[in-house]
Amino acid sequence: MIRTEKISFRIGTFHLLNISIEVAAGQYFVLLGPPGSGKSIFLECLCGLRKVDSGKIFIDGRDATFLEPRARNIGYVPQDYALFPHLTVQENIAFGLRVSKYTNKDIIKRTGETAELLGIEHLLSRSVNGLSGGETQRVALARAIIIQPKVLLLDEPVCALDEVTRQEICSQLFFLQRRLGVTVIHVSHNLEEAFSVADRAAILHEGILQQIGSLDELLRKPHSEFVARFMRCENIFSGQVIGPGARPKQTRVKVGNAEINVIGKYNGKLKLVIRPEDVLIYPYAGFCGKGENEICVKLIRLRNYGEYIRMELDGPFSLIAHLTGAVYSELKIEPGADLVAALRPQNIHVLPA
Amino acid sequence: MNSPVKGWRDRVFDAAVFFFVCVFVVFVLILIVSDVFYINKKAVVTVLTSRFIIHALWMSIWTSFSTTFISLLFAVPVGYALSRLRFPGRILADAIVDLPIVFPPLVVGLTLLVFFSQTSIGRWIQDDLGLEFVFQPKGIVLCQFVAAASLAIRSSNTAFNDVSRRYENVALTLGCTRLGSFWRVSLPLARNGIIAGGILTWARAFGLFGPLMIFVGSFRGRTEVLSTTIFLEQSVGNLEVALAVALLLIFVALLAITIIRLVGGSALVKR
Repeated sequence: MIRTEKISFRIGTFHLLNISIEVAAGQYFVLLGPPGSGKSIFLECLCGLRKVDSGKIFIDGRDATFLEPRARNIGYVPQDYALFPHLTVQENIAFGLRVSKYTNKDIIKRTGETAELLGIEHLLSRSVNGLSGGETQRVALARAIIIQPKVLLLDEPVCALDEVTRQEICSQLFFLQRRLGVTVIHVSHNLEEAFSVADRAAILHEGILQQIGSLDELLRKPHSEFVARFMRCENIFSGQVIGPGARPKQTRVKVGNAEINVIGKYNGKLKLVIRPEDVLIYPYAGFCGKGENEICVKLIRLRNYGEYIRMELDGPFSLIAHLTGAVYSELKIEPGADLVAALRPQNIHVLPA
Repeated sequence: MNSPVKGWRDRVFDAAVFFFVCVFVVFVLILIVSDVFYINKKAVVTVLTSRFIIHALWMSIWTSFSTTFISLLFAVPVGYALSRLRFPGRILADAIVDLPIVFPPLVVGLTLLVFFSQTSIGRWIQDDLGLEFVFQPKGIVLCQFVAAASLAIRSSNTAFNDVSRRYENVALTLGCTRLGSFWRVSLPLARNGIIAGGILTWARAFGLFGPLMIFVGSFRGRTEVLSTTIFLEQSVGNLEVALAVALLLIFVALLAITIIRLVGGSALVKR
């Protein structure tokens, strides 16, 4: 549905470089990245609000690189929503239809339907001043979808909202996208948002696309240390290959004072990535190292984050583990406790050093 | 209006700024009242019955409103262009727009006179095109335009600068052309600033005196406006009549500004 081929754009010292993505029809795509990574600029390039320096943009099979924004058949919700302050909610939503010279009857009908879809029909006669964050977001969304765009571009659509409203709006966005079948590109720096809506995602950093794929791929198979860290993986260790592993198609790697088996054949230096929730923790029973990739660790610090318990462990190398509240309460441990951490080879991802 | 809880320092601050409001307003009122006490009934009757003064009043009104209208016709596109377009020499153009504001008023009159009488383009406009400005009522509008249009342009420019481009960008994605986004979004949002510029322009044009004396003179029944009437009356010793005309000018100005504010105010954009 929407495809970019090596688009580049320079503004001041910032450079968006050779961005190529492809989002299929009806797909919910989330572009992730830290603030200042160029996500909004990329979205504005897709909208036609910025003219790309090089590369091509295809929308619905048509070269849209040099099409005016109005000819691209896109809906755009900017980060600050930009509701027109001189118009009522109804007039804001109907803006695109008025521009396209729909009849008053059609405008009233479609505005009502769209408002009902988003649960904002009671706001139609109100001024946009004084709307809550969630209401403003819904009105901006209604204004964008009423023109029935082929692609909906959402620039940090829920970043200004409180946690509860954010979850609610994300669910609504996902429901709406499925119901309308519209292709969505949603820009965000928030991982939770991506998990609640995305079919596929990509990560942008300093104007360069780091990785594109399913969220599971981004989580489990990051292409770089940056992607791993952005996906909140805190366990990234430097290692040195010391020989073949205990089993076929395995390599033995020295990390700190420990030796770890990883799946695959490698040479020289490398980096091992293991997600904190994939670190298995057992009570220390007088020995460790019996099972594969088991190391003795000591619990240094723990903190309850509500959804999980974050444990800082020290052993042959420092390690972070996340446990559910239920598992933690069964272990009955306190800081200073001796434990066994098991790093299963299938959970270890290898990056070049 | 709901206001935050105030401590004594806040009240002192409010009282201090209100004090300055009072000083200024009372000072202006005292000046006007002293004029009122100086004039007599005969002067008022003379002003209200003089064919020439009524003609001057009418001339002042139509020329100043024409000037305001023409100034706004320029102010909106110029203000928008300086706000949105990037072109070579934009900073210089921006500075030149403000230049007539700092011109001494007499210089405006002299410059126009020199242009139309001493340059080939000016003579061509006057003689060949037949557009006569020097010592003509049309010249009043031209003179007022040169002296006052910058105020409208600057206000309009500031108003467009205050309108976020995001509104225009969203309008572009909703099917608008640049003209459409300007017409449907930027212009309504800048309306208050443009109206304020119009009021300033009108006020400047309505009370303009110096350049008019040089460029169009003050011929009774032809190029005389209220400000030049005041000068003519006081120069022949009719101080009471001059002040009565001045009060008429002040009254009309107050009336016009109040009406414009009310009409403009009812259409104010709530941001």
